[in-house]
Amino acid sequence: MPLTDLITSSDPLIRHQALEQAVAGLPLAALEAEAAALDSFRRTAPNLYERVRACFFLYALHRFHLPPLLTARAETAGLIPAAAHHHLLERRFGEAVDVLLAATESHGLTDALGSALAHAYHRLALQSLADQVRASVRQVRGNQWMFRCGSSDEVPLRVRPELTRPTGGVLPVLHEQTAVRMDLTHSAWSDIFFLGMDFPEGARVLNISVNLAVQGRDTAPHPPVEAFLRVIDRPVLRLVSVDLGASAELTELDEVFDFAKDHLGLLKAAVIASGLVPMGLEGSGQRLDHVLETLMGPGLGLELVSSVNGIPKGSRLAVSTNLLGSLISVCMRATGQTRSLTGPLEESGRRIVAARAILGEWLGGSGGGWQDSGGVWPGIKVIEGATATADDPEHGISRGRLLPRHTLIGTQLVGPEQRKALENSLVLVHGGMAQNVGPILEMVTEKYLLRSGPEWDARRESLALFDPILQALQAGDVRTLGALTTRHFFGPLQTIIPWATTFFTERVIDQVRAEFGDDFWGFWMLGGMSGGGMGFMFAPERKQEASQRLAEILVTHKRALNHSLPFAMDPVVYDFEINENGTTASMVTGAAALMPPGYYALALPALLRTDPRALPESRRRELEYFRQRARETPAYQATLTGLVDTLLPSGRGAQTSREDELESLLARNGFDPLAHERIRLDLQAGHIGLARNRLPANTRIENVRPGDVFPAATGLTDAHRTLGAAALDAGEVAVVTLAAGAASRWTGGAGVVKALHPFCKFDGRHRTFLEVHLAKTRQVAQRHGIVPLHAITTSYLTHDPIQSQLEAADFHGLRNAVHLSRGRSIGLRMIPMQRDLRFLWEENAQQRLDERQEKVRASLRTALLSWAKSAGEGTDYRDNQPLQCLHPVGHWYEIPNLLLNGTLATMLQQRPALRTLMLHNIDTLGANLDSGLLGWHRSTGATLSFEVISRRLDDRGGGLARVNDQLRLVEGLALPREEDEFALSHYNTLTCWIEIDPLLHSVGLQRTDLNDPIKVAAAVRDFSRRLPTYITLKEVKKRWGHGQEDVFPVAQFERIWGDMSALPEIPCAYAEVTRSRGTQLKEQAQLDAWLRDGTRDAIDAVCAWD
Amino acid sequence: MIPRQAVITAADWKQQFLPLQTMVDRTGQTRKVLGLLLDEITSTGIESIALVVRPGDEPLYRDAVDVAKADVTFITQPEPLGYGHAILCAAPFVKDEPFLLMVSDHVYVSALDGQTCAQQLTAVAREHEGMVSAVQATHESRLASFGAVGGSLFDARHRLYEVQRVLEKPSPTEAEQSLLIPGLRHGYYMCFLGMHVLTPLVLELLAQKQASLPPGHTLDLSSSLHEAAGRTRYLAAALSGRRYDLDHRHGVLMAQLAVALDGDYRDDLLAGLVEMLAQSK
Repeated sequence: MPLTDLITSSDPLIRHQALEQAVAGLPLAALEAEAAALDSFRRTAPNLYERVRACFFLYALHRFHLPPLLTARAETAGLIPAAAHHHLLERRFGEAVDVLLAATESHGLTDALGSALAHAYHRLALQSLADQVRASVRQVRGNQWMFRCGSSDEVPLRVRPELTRPTGGVLPVLHEQTAVRMDLTHSAWSDIFFLGMDFPEGARVLNISVNLAVQGRDTAPHPPVEAFLRVIDRPVLRLVSVDLGASAELTELDEVFDFAKDHLGLLKAAVIASGLVPMGLEGSGQRLDHVLETLMGPGLGLELVSSVNGIPKGSRLAVSTNLLGSLISVCMRATGQTRSLTGPLEESGRRIVAARAILGEWLGGSGGGWQDSGGVWPGIKVIEGATATADDPEHGISRGRLLPRHTLIGTQLVGPEQRKALENSLVLVHGGMAQNVGPILEMVTEKYLLRSGPEWDARRESLALFDPILQALQAGDVRTLGALTTRHFFGPLQTIIPWATTFFTERVIDQVRAEFGDDFWGFWMLGGMSGGGMGFMFAPERKQEASQRLAEILVTHKRALNHSLPFAMDPVVYDFEINENGTTASMVTGAAALMPPGYYALALPALLRTDPRALPESRRRELEYFRQRARETPAYQATLTGLVDTLLPSGRGAQTSREDELESLLARNGFDPLAHERIRLDLQAGHIGLARNRLPANTRIENVRPGDVFPAATGLTDAHRTLGAAALDAGEVAVVTLAAGAASRWTGGAGVVKALHPFCKFDGRHRTFLEVHLAKTRQVAQRHGIVPLHAITTSYLTHDPIQSQLEAADFHGLRNAVHLSRGRSIGLRMIPMQRDLRFLWEENAQQRLDERQEKVRASLRTALLSWAKSAGEGTDYRDNQPLQCLHPVGHWYEIPNLLLNGTLATMLQQRPALRTLMLHNIDTLGANLDSGLLGWHRSTGATLSFEVISRRLDDRGGGLARVNDQLRLVEGLALPREEDEFALSHYNTLTCWIEIDPLLHSVGLQRTDLNDPIKVAAAVRDFSRRLPTYITLKEVKKRWGHGQEDVFPVAQFERIWGDMSALPEIPCAYAEVTRSRGTQLKEQAQLDAWLRDGTRDAIDAVCAWD
Repeated sequence: MIPRQAVITAADWKQQFLPLQTMVDRTGQTRKVLGLLLDEITSTGIESIALVVRPGDEPLYRDAVDVAKADVTFITQPEPLGYGHAILCAAPFVKDEPFLLMVSDHVYVSALDGQTCAQQLTAVAREHEGMVSAVQATHESRLASFGAVGGSLFDARHRLYEVQRVLEKPSPTEAEQSLLIPGLRHGYYMCFLGMHVLTPLVLELLAQKQASLPPGHTLDLSSSLHEAAGRTRYLAAALSGRRYDLDHRHGVLMAQLAVALDGDYRDDLLAGLVEMLAQSK
């Protein structure tokens, strides 16, 4: 049956058939024909979702099903046309596909072209879906007018007159209070817009609005989200975020649309999405004061204040979406867009607020699910996808509507006692992890559209759990409810997304289960993945004890895993109650018309510095009322106390102790202040920098020629294997694992030890990168009867955590073989030069983002440029946690470090027969002591043998090249032109076989010199001068507030091991290895494909687990 | 259904002097706005007119009425309790009959030769035997000034709509959700011209609402019209003509221009305007 039938058939049995089942056993030619037919179909199909599904099929064919068949062809390596890459960066995915298909037509399908096609189809599908959601958001009735309004005269809203009438000298404050939401059924991510719009029958959640209290801090649960609005007597828009400590007075219209300029992007999105400043005014050149005049009259402005009462980010309770909803609601009430000025909203008002919140999320470049604004509705409700009817703008485009249907579950269905039962058993927590769930949502979408067999069954199983969960809730049977949510988490949810669970989550669950036994009724995951917001259910009589104990358990495990997983904050336990109002508003007047206490903590310092006579009358009256309130109310009183602390000088603070710690770290880790100063001067003078990393423009860069690279997949012989096995039997080989890194890409700059990150389950439990590498060594030991030595190179960031975890695990049974090589070089990061930032952003090809995100990014970059200027270009970066201010200086130093710190000498002493090292990166999980490759390396007589792979689209950053006719590895940042990379068919895996004695000879040493540290140091210093120093920009996170994070690009320098291949006196050889051996696992988004393409299993096969 | 009486409301404190603004009419005569409105009404054959004014305002209007030589009964609205209440004050005057209702701060210019806007509206009421309001497609930026209707097309040729929903000064959000009318451009809604032919049912509904009105609230007309739409056939007629709202920035000027451009001295005015435009910066 043609694959297009799976897309177009009206028979659900055919339509829901898994792609892998349909293509099983098809030969290459048949699959290529299917791909051609699908491509033709996706170009002409009128239905959006059919086109999208065809694109996902094409992605899967090129990513998973065609590559194994291509290996039979003699030449698998190939080139990706630079034009295609350029189209991909510019988000012209359709054009990229055309270029790639033309190349396929000319040269035949290669692994490289297939990888690029897979990427292009994948992005094209997701872009089409996202575009459709955006179009639908604009088309929702009630949203459309905002896109039409093009001048301040056309602004059709008017602020309600009640808000412009002063009482007691001050204008009233409109105060909105909103719940957050939790999803009791989890729904298997069916609240992703794409799913609900394609499969409304399968989109169904049980959503509960809750009030929260942070245990140990708040006295009782209350609606956590609050928004305040009032008219002010200045024609400005004053925005204040109490939690983020940010405020701004906007006077220009463009500032309202500048989302990344400050931390007020959410408030700005609310101002726009509520229609106060309609979307159509963006770039219109209109004046903000004219808009405000149309809204309220001359001379008046608006103040909008937000507060989430310290609820931390990543709670998975949709705090930001409900805050957006709350802000939008208060603005809409103020402008008569809802029927009621105060009290709860009517249903039509809630629906339009939800639609506007979706719009606001799109404006701010963020995204949420369609149930996230559930806190706007009261109590318990079923939210489900709704089929688009002829009256809906989605009709004829998608099967479902953008906005779902909300059905309130009244007390007649779930009575007060049953509601109480849930409150009495459930403990809500924030585990402290705040991770980007974006990749997970993309995986879910992809699996849904491919109808991947087990995942599709799991989705149906998840759907089938909805009714039993609702019935258990109706019966007040929380024990059964807990059993069902636990089954859901460990069953269907992890079948769909194995990465939904974390090592941390499972350790906490295990301990809770061990301590509470039968009184632990169940676990429940909130949101995209576990580790942040989670629920634990207990027998009611033990809930109090459990919530206290859970806080301790969470903190204990968080501390133990602090270096392994990206925690943004300490865990928190919440008290909660069901909110039966949804979002509700009140208007306060006269002496009661005050903003929340935190507002005054922000506003008072500036007000106190102003001459009271210069303050407007209304401000003076407000301060008078504040003074009265501060006498009566503890929360306001606390503001005054805090204010005194802020205004008066204090002793040695956190900043000073941070500085001390940084200095101590620098001193302990071999920081060279003279070298640092030299680098700084060179950087500031422009002698080094991103532009200077490049080789001269007249350098000739050419691809390898036949015979330059040994094809290991097909060329290894028994003779190679025998030679290698003999060396292994004799204990002549050791492994060197580079484990100095901080998993920057994996965690978005969170600074965890990548080696210790438990990233995937093997043999039934989560394993770290390091455990995988040790398991490969263990298997070699089992096969050859001798344990190969295994050096792990560490850095200031990773040494202590790795050592303590290895000690705790008794070195996984390899104590005598494992050697830690502590880094002896360290750098201090610097504020980047503006020219380097500009070079990075303007001279290098960048991935274009979608329209809104592109605007946000442009605004962020402007802010970062002014940050670099104001913080001092080229000065030390010290304004962060000390460990985030330091940097490792590149993996070239790791082998010299083995010499400098005596590790190699120790290893040679322990095993004098040692001749060869296999150096590999922590994320090259497939690299093992393969006897065949070892034998080949020995047979070449090379000092260094590098393993390369045929390039795929994602393999960026240089490769193997003939540089002015010398075969060598070249870094991407050293290539004279970016497009040079696309002429190179092979990519460096960084796995390198090293002959010890010839290498020592090149450095000017021999084995006996290794015990002479002075000689070693002098030789290394001399040798290092022959290698280039690269300046790079690294993104580091700075954490603040309650789980908030900012990312800064900072400058650092590094030297690269691959540049050793450029030294003419060092003989080098190159072998092309399989992808499963050479793939580097650098991002979480790679995990799913890595699992599905068989790489994980291939790695499992070369491991022996302890 | 032929209305034989008309009611003009002029009791809103904000528009106190607008009906007394002086304008030059189509023939070049200097007139009060109120005089133009009385002409509009009398063109339909109605001779019995009530003018609802604020306490003490009657003498101000008397001169304008005298010049128009119409039979006008002055009715005082004792307290400013809303537009609906002002109409209700005229209930004893209209008794149990249909009546033409007009506001006093609008000027109308018909696009049909020899037929005023009021004549067009009363003709619809006569033909269809029921309530009818004059409407005009209005851009959403002006929604804050008018009542607006939602409904379905009733007679495309005569541009008649059957009203299903009436909202007073709706927000564009509400309008987009419930006042869309097929055939109108995006962003345009059918808003009242301030000219209606109403039946005693509306007075009855107004009276009911007035009885249950909470203290401090005012009575509007639109909610009663909305309720009436649920009880009886209620049409909206898009007339061939335009209304000019005087209670708007440059409202009086625009109304004067519209009237003059429709009159005998159109060419003189155009020449003057062109000269003015040419000399302006």
